[in-house]
Amino acid sequence: MLRKGLFFILAFVATLMFSMQAMAGGVIKIGVQAPITGKFASEGQSIDKAVRLIAKQYNKKGGILGKTIKVYTCDDEGQAQKAAVCARQLVDDGVIAVIGSYTSTCAEAAESIYYKAGVLQTSDGTSDTLVKHGYWTFFRNSSPNSAEAAFTAEFFIKKKHYKRIAAISDYSTFSTDLTNAVVKDIKKLGGNIVYKGKITSGAQNFTPILTKIKSFHPDVIYFGGYYTDGGLIKAQMEQLGIKADFVGGDSNDNPEFIKLAGKAAVGAYLVNVPLPNMLPYDTAKKFLKAYQEAYNESPASIWTLFNVDGLRAILYSIEQTKSTNTKKIAYYMHNKLKNFPGITGPVEWAANGERVGSAYMAYRIGSDLKYHIVYRH
Amino acid sequence: MDNKKNILYGVFFLVLIILPFILNSRWESVATTFLIYSTVALSQDIVLGRAGMFDMGHAIFFGLGAYSTAILNTVYGVPILLTIPVAIILPLIAGILLSAPIVHLRGDYLLVTTIGFNIVFTQALKNNVFGFTGGPNGIFGIASPSIFGYSLSSQTAVYFMAFILLLITLFVIRNLETSKIGRALHYINEDSLASECAGINTRFYRLFSFGLSAAIAGLAGTVFAVQFSAVSPEAFNFIQSVLFFTIVLVGGPSSVEGVLLGTFFMFVLPEMFRQFAEARYLIFGIAMILIMIWRPKGIWPAKFGRIPKYFFKD
Amino acid sequence: MEIFIQQLVNGLTIGSIYALVALGYTMVYGVLKLINFAHGDLVAFSAYVGLVIMMQLAGVISSSVVIIVLVFIFTAIIISAFGVLLERLAYKPLRKAPRLSAVVSALGASLIIENGIMLIWGPRPKIFPSNIVPNINWNIGGVYIGLMQLLVLVISFVLMFVLYFFVNQTKLGAAMRASAIDQDAARLMGINVDRIIMITFIIGSALGSVGGLFIGMYYRGIYFNMGWIYGLNAFVAAIIGGIGNIPGAMLGGMLLGIFNALISGYLSSSWALALTYVLLIVIMIFRPTGILGERVAEKV
Repeated sequence: MLRKGLFFILAFVATLMFSMQAMAGGVIKIGVQAPITGKFASEGQSIDKAVRLIAKQYNKKGGILGKTIKVYTCDDEGQAQKAAVCARQLVDDGVIAVIGSYTSTCAEAAESIYYKAGVLQTSDGTSDTLVKHGYWTFFRNSSPNSAEAAFTAEFFIKKKHYKRIAAISDYSTFSTDLTNAVVKDIKKLGGNIVYKGKITSGAQNFTPILTKIKSFHPDVIYFGGYYTDGGLIKAQMEQLGIKADFVGGDSNDNPEFIKLAGKAAVGAYLVNVPLPNMLPYDTAKKFLKAYQEAYNESPASIWTLFNVDGLRAILYSIEQTKSTNTKKIAYYMHNKLKNFPGITGPVEWAANGERVGSAYMAYRIGSDLKYHIVYRH
Repeated sequence: MDNKKNILYGVFFLVLIILPFILNSRWESVATTFLIYSTVALSQDIVLGRAGMFDMGHAIFFGLGAYSTAILNTVYGVPILLTIPVAIILPLIAGILLSAPIVHLRGDYLLVTTIGFNIVFTQALKNNVFGFTGGPNGIFGIASPSIFGYSLSSQTAVYFMAFILLLITLFVIRNLETSKIGRALHYINEDSLASECAGINTRFYRLFSFGLSAAIAGLAGTVFAVQFSAVSPEAFNFIQSVLFFTIVLVGGPSSVEGVLLGTFFMFVLPEMFRQFAEARYLIFGIAMILIMIWRPKGIWPAKFGRIPKYFFKD
Repeated sequence: MEIFIQQLVNGLTIGSIYALVALGYTMVYGVLKLINFAHGDLVAFSAYVGLVIMMQLAGVISSSVVIIVLVFIFTAIIISAFGVLLERLAYKPLRKAPRLSAVVSALGASLIIENGIMLIWGPRPKIFPSNIVPNINWNIGGVYIGLMQLLVLVISFVLMFVLYFFVNQTKLGAAMRASAIDQDAARLMGINVDRIIMITFIIGSALGSVGGLFIGMYYRGIYFNMGWIYGLNAFVAAIIGGIGNIPGAMLGGMLLGIFNALISGYLSSSWALALTYVLLIVIMIFRPTGILGERVAEKV
């Protein structure tokens, strides 16, 4: 009995303190949940830097609704279990919206905690399961795997008319889901999958599996993993004298892909949403320039930009609703926000938090080591 | 001296009981995981510290328990509390079966083999064996346990589940320490040839310690699965085993206080220094080396026997 | 058929890198009975150091042969010094401590090196320039082999042969073997065991640095956390061959590379890693001292 009483008193004091803090501070708290260390450290750090840059830009202009934006970062190390801890911490810090996480697994592990706390979450996670719960707090800022898979299958069958297709993924949630979806969609269009296998990300030596694939005489090898492995796969294909085309999923789209593959990069195909520097969006150019100036490097990948769009849309919605009530902001984002000019294209959301509209493209890396669009809707 | 220890434990338990009411939800979550990890580390200590076998694959049994609960609950809809017997028995059997062919191995060879087991285990989880481990994703949406229709879904409820788990473990270990088995393990650890000559069935006791520690780790796995309502292969990989292994050695093998301190040092401290995200593991590595140099037997080494203090003085 | 031979070539290439790294594990284990968990990270570190040296030299020297030779020499020297430093700071103070304390110390050192690399060079992969290491490929009857592969094979074999000669035919080698068998007896014979341990770390680290540079030059992309994978595989190779046994480590490395290639080539790439460790477990159960390890009576 005493324990319960004590609990209530403490809880009351805690709430009181929280609300006082919120009123007196005059700040809007934004959380970043990202892998700052670990395997995806470069992506996570880039997202964190980008969010802080946007916050600084807003604060320079006098903040938002007259309040300054304060960013709280939590490192989930790319592990589901740490993600749950992070989610609780950010909720405790009193953030109203969270950017992250980079990986689908971590985003999903944290999703229900943000939902229960009524904290908005926007993630680039592409796993289809992310929107299945129908949480009103969740907004995907990238396009889902399913859209990319459908586009990839079309590119394979309708445009390139591949006859013998080999597909590789790594063990990550994202990569397995994407590759499975691609294989499924290819089969749906009557394509012929001759080989499907997995690599261990970071293993560097992919010659055994590639030699095996060679014996199936494919005319294309699809890789649904990350550029760190994709670049090496392309290089080792060349070294083993494999003449098949290489098509990489979205996460192969990174400047390092070309550096890793060297001259072998020529002729590789990549499937992704439009690149910021290929688009006429002023916001994109401006943002990339600002990022370059602030950090003396470019963002790690397109995923940073997706997250930036999620953040910008939330901040815009806060301004429009003149409110920090997450319910109101979410309502606005679901129903009123249409064609918001994003860095990665127009932004709007369906009721389940899925980003509407996707504009995938297939690029070929030419002998000038630049991207050339070869197929689009 | 015993009295002092009892008071110390009394204070420790009191703090643990009050803790969830003063911590915010993030630190409550850390405290819950601390209790679970302490349990796993204590169970690892039965094999590593007490029986003296270099087991670096303990996350397997922790994972088996967690996955048993997760699969039974999400696939077959078994209530959490009813999954507990499976989450104990399955790791127990696995512990005995896996250790049976290897307990006779010399220290480092045993260590290597258990690493091997662990890697095969996580690979099997990732490859989605039998189609119900959820592959690299793991399994999401594990329900909360309920007693008499009352759902124990709050964080504080989970905290106290973990607390009870630790109490049970401490009780088991206390009994083990004072029992024939505990003494036998201690002899085997000190000198296995001599103990065999004295008529102790070393093989039996070694298997026993593996089985017991696997069972405890499995039970801890259930609470872990409930806390995060999710399990994934990364939580039970070889690196996690290294963590439990290090906890025991940094804290002090076969010392309950040491293992608890070790868990605090290896798990809670890194959580506290999250703001130094990038540098924290570097500093941590330095700390591990320094502790081993200054206190090679751990922060709080075990004292064996009940030899009166005056025995050592003059 | 050419697919099979290609797989053998693939396996031998990666296998000789494993062998080079495995030698570091096995030699240290021989004299200290310590699993040096930091060795893999030292190998990763050497690739980064090598890259820095290469970029510095590339501005001064135009001949890529000279650059590559100098990179190997300088990196080996730096990494050897590092290995000795590691031994002095992390292992030597624990000579008298319980054996597992040194293992924890090694794990700590591994954390330091891995995260140190990340702090210095950042989390993104670093890439070796493609213009310095020539990219030449030959097609011999359907089997493709690159110049870099050939270099890896030849240099590894030469180094291993030299090491074998050194350990078996020189006085210092004999002292090393003696220290491995019984440190106390060796000390009584007038061998300066501390010096032998230092030499062991120098040789082990130098060989590891060659392995690290091969990884960088052959695969081109290097990561701050790649030490774990290579370390673990090389360590398994050392065990398979019989830990503490120098020819065993070489054989183990080659076998592991080929085994891995054939498994992913003919069975399943998803299970290659797991099957490697199943093989390890089987060897441990039936022949715990490895293929070439002598049958010691169970130490009790």
